[in-house]
Amino acid sequence: MTAAIPATSRTYDLSFARWVRENVKGGDKMNLCMQCGVCSGSCPIGSEMDNGPRKTFMMVRAGMKDEVLSSTTLWNCTSCYRCYVRCPRGIPVTSIIQGLAAVAAKEGYADKEKVSNYYFSKAFWWSARSFGKTDERLVTMKYFFSFGLVEGIKRALANLKIALGMVKAGRMHIGMPHSIRNKSQLKAIIAKAAELESKG
Amino acid sequence: MSEKMKVTYYPGCSSEATGRHLDESIRAVMPEVGVEMADIEDWNCCGASVGHIGGGPLPTLALNGRNLANAKKQGNEHVMTPCAACYLNTHGSNLTIRDDEAKREKVNEALKAGGMEAYEGDLKVHHAMEVLVNFVGMEKIAERATNKLKGLKVAGWVGCQTVRPFAETDDGGNYDTYEEPEFLDDITRACGAEAVPYEKKTNCCGGSVAVMKPEKTLHLMKLLLEEAEKAGADVISTPCPLCQTNLEMYQDAINAKYGTNFHIPVVFPSQLMAVAFGMDPQKDAALQRNTIRAEKLEKLAKK
Repeated sequence: MTAAIPATSRTYDLSFARWVRENVKGGDKMNLCMQCGVCSGSCPIGSEMDNGPRKTFMMVRAGMKDEVLSSTTLWNCTSCYRCYVRCPRGIPVTSIIQGLAAVAAKEGYADKEKVSNYYFSKAFWWSARSFGKTDERLVTMKYFFSFGLVEGIKRALANLKIALGMVKAGRMHIGMPHSIRNKSQLKAIIAKAAELESKG
Repeated sequence: MSEKMKVTYYPGCSSEATGRHLDESIRAVMPEVGVEMADIEDWNCCGASVGHIGGGPLPTLALNGRNLANAKKQGNEHVMTPCAACYLNTHGSNLTIRDDEAKREKVNEALKAGGMEAYEGDLKVHHAMEVLVNFVGMEKIAERATNKLKGLKVAGWVGCQTVRPFAETDDGGNYDTYEEPEFLDDITRACGAEAVPYEKKTNCCGGSVAVMKPEKTLHLMKLLLEEAEKAGADVISTPCPLCQTNLEMYQDAINAKYGTNFHIPVVFPSQLMAVAFGMDPQKDAALQRNTIRAEKLEKLAKK
């Protein structure tokens, strides 16, 4: 005789998983995940992540929205795409992790103390939007100083030797940022895209 | 390929800064093997690995839409970029615009706000390495390489993004595999140098995380250097501008942290080609821009 199936005390809330499926790039493929773990096992920087992609996917299914969006997994992805190309079910793992990071950034889950990627991304986007190009010097400095004046100076000095080497090799210029010509056009395009994105 | 190929060239932001030697050597060697390049008019940033976080997915797609729409106006169906991140974003965005009607409409609405014409995703986006593999061919490189790099041992480090994940080309098929790509060693050999065994070919250096938090990724770069040293490589060759800069500029930090003594030059395959083509070591191969100078390669260069 087999034992009676126990009544579960918790129910899964699928509303977050459904939301991810419809709003995150690649989220529609997440249902295919069979929890094999090839993604997390392939990650070069998994040691820096609390959960890794495999567990993150299960947490999405379990409706653990806050835990997923405040997870360090989202902020340590190097975008090497090894999980993406190795997934036996063809799930675009990297895209989903990146998409969740974008959601977390937008929803205010990024904590300055542990989420350097968020501040780096903001500095990067500032340059892309202002000049149409990435100015590696300004992005790095803006990023360093987003942790305060003292920390900024400390980090800048720590990288001084590298910077001087780059200047000497002609790989870091002195002077105004490189810029596209039609900045107003780019700004109009980005503003419209941001508006459309916020409408969903 | 017997006839010439014309491409619209997307240099990417690093071409004006840390990746100048990639841009300069690509501009030098491509015409030598029959690839004519014209820059995308007023090109902008692709969003790299963090644009989706800083600005959001749709604005990042729109950035790429602007480049592609500008390339489209120039009337050539082929777009080529030498940068891994530019390739990933441009190629990926091109596919999204082509295949996803809802996204295409939104991108075109954004482009319209900037006074630009709609873009339908009908260009073909290529990585410069793919162009060398599929359009130029190794025979042509070997034929042009009159100054063979005899005795130079090269570790071919492809990096990650160059062969992932949209390496399915616009002309169908891959230009190489994700796990064990061979094209980089083929280029090394076409230049007359020796390709040493290098297992960690597609290992990641940490990418932009290495820039923002190097302490998290130094161990990844240490693996790459150890393997190259074990193989007896004189230089590491990589097609990716961020890989090149990371692995070069953090060797001091790695030595300080792990008590190692690495001093391995990291060059681009296009720099090897420029030297093997007998071209100018500074103007064409841009060897003076490597902060760890590739002395053995410099000695092989025609003065």
